[in-house]
Amino acid sequence: MIQPILTAGIEVALWTAIFAGSGQATIGSYPRESYLAYALWAAFFARISSNWMYEFRMIEEIDTGSVNSVLARPISFYEYYLSQFLGYKVITSLISLTVPFILTLFIGVSTYHSRFPAALLLVFFYLVLVHTVSFSIASFAFFFNRIHSLTMAKNIALWLLMGELFPLDLIPEPYRSWVIHLPFSSGVYIPVGYLTGRLGHADLLKAFVSVALGLLVLAPASSALWLAGRKRYSGTGA
Amino acid sequence: MRKYMNILYGFFKASAIADLEYRLNIVMKVVTDIIWYLAQVSVFEVIFRNVDQVGGWNLHSARVFIAALFVVDSIWMLLFSENLDRLSDKVRRGELDLLLSKPVNSQFMMSFQRLSTPYLINILITIGYLNWAFFSLPEPPSGWRLLMLIVLVPCSLMITYGMRFFFSAAALIFARAENINYIWWQFYRLGMRPDALYPPWLRYIVLTVIPVGFLASVPARLILGSNEWGFIVAAIGLGAFMVWVSTRFWAFALKRYSSASS
Repeated sequence: MIQPILTAGIEVALWTAIFAGSGQATIGSYPRESYLAYALWAAFFARISSNWMYEFRMIEEIDTGSVNSVLARPISFYEYYLSQFLGYKVITSLISLTVPFILTLFIGVSTYHSRFPAALLLVFFYLVLVHTVSFSIASFAFFFNRIHSLTMAKNIALWLLMGELFPLDLIPEPYRSWVIHLPFSSGVYIPVGYLTGRLGHADLLKAFVSVALGLLVLAPASSALWLAGRKRYSGTGA
Repeated sequence: MRKYMNILYGFFKASAIADLEYRLNIVMKVVTDIIWYLAQVSVFEVIFRNVDQVGGWNLHSARVFIAALFVVDSIWMLLFSENLDRLSDKVRRGELDLLLSKPVNSQFMMSFQRLSTPYLINILITIGYLNWAFFSLPEPPSGWRLLMLIVLVPCSLMITYGMRFFFSAAALIFARAENINYIWWQFYRLGMRPDALYPPWLRYIVLTVIPVGFLASVPARLILGSNEWGFIVAAIGLGAFMVWVSTRFWAFALKRYSSASS
């Protein structure tokens, strides 16, 4: 809980300083309040939209051979971890999103609270994609030793592509369009932009389509990677 | 002192051999940090495309700031990251007990035992970026100011070490200190922005109570031509003080440590 609060505090301080130092009333046609609201929500949404712990666990299971116990169960490795991951995220969302929700009710930064359920629904749909990416990365553990750096690289790249660091609409064209149309913007930029009024209903719908397309591409690829990995797997630790 | 230099050299050799065993991991470590650098650079590049000045910093000076941060960070990653990030684990698994029985300072062992040699590549990259950022300034100060980093970077590392060690060594007292380490990362993030961006009360904190302002803000300001010479004295004094505090805290924590392996 402390972690996103501190992150939000730092980002709010940054955007306050940016507006104070620039002397401009708007940046990229949005006012100060819009950026403060974005900074506040983004820290919390980013915490929900990332996957460290369960990806490390999946890698660990394959590395150590304890994946055997999951393989013997009447549920796939993918589903087993997806259910745990989503369950964990439901709990953390309920706890951590309460803070910005209540704060924005009182401090008057631009937030459309009625849009909250739809924004959260997009994040949870996006989490399925995040889990699929994690599943693909974990599958590499069948082929290589020590792939934790891959998780680090992926999460830092997503940190940038999701829009936690700054609203993606500040990026110059043509990169802005590329980054926004990628499904990863559904982790932070789209839900927070929708919630704070930067984006409309059409953008939210496009984001659902983008994530669905991302899943369509990634699901078969991750499945193929998993099957190829299992063929190589010799059941270490059994 | 010579004995410890020899041990450090031995650690370096052993770590390099261990790292070379997993070559893909070396590539991934370097690539991961480059992605992290790109993420940090993009923040300033994007912001300064939309505004000219933030807290007295323009795009050119912000590049020097971020380059100074990268240089300190890459050396940090080489020397301390793996040791201090895993200190909590080592304590829990009982590895500390073995180290305590050796005729070498246990804090030294815990701090330097495993060097992350792939980051040598990152040190070269970041020094290159710093040189580019410095000499791309519209009116670059005299080049000798870069030499001040020979003093300022070790001071930044010592100050950061003192703070980080405090969070890591808390594992001796609390057994599981992973969440305390997350808090450290948030403090570290405060140092990843120029101190002038913060309101006066927070700026005071990052230069005194939690001196992460010495991580890059102070070195960058000095090499950019600031004549606040008092900061050099403060950096040297604070660096020595933080290392001394870390040794005192380690001694204090060891007194409360009950072996994990027996």
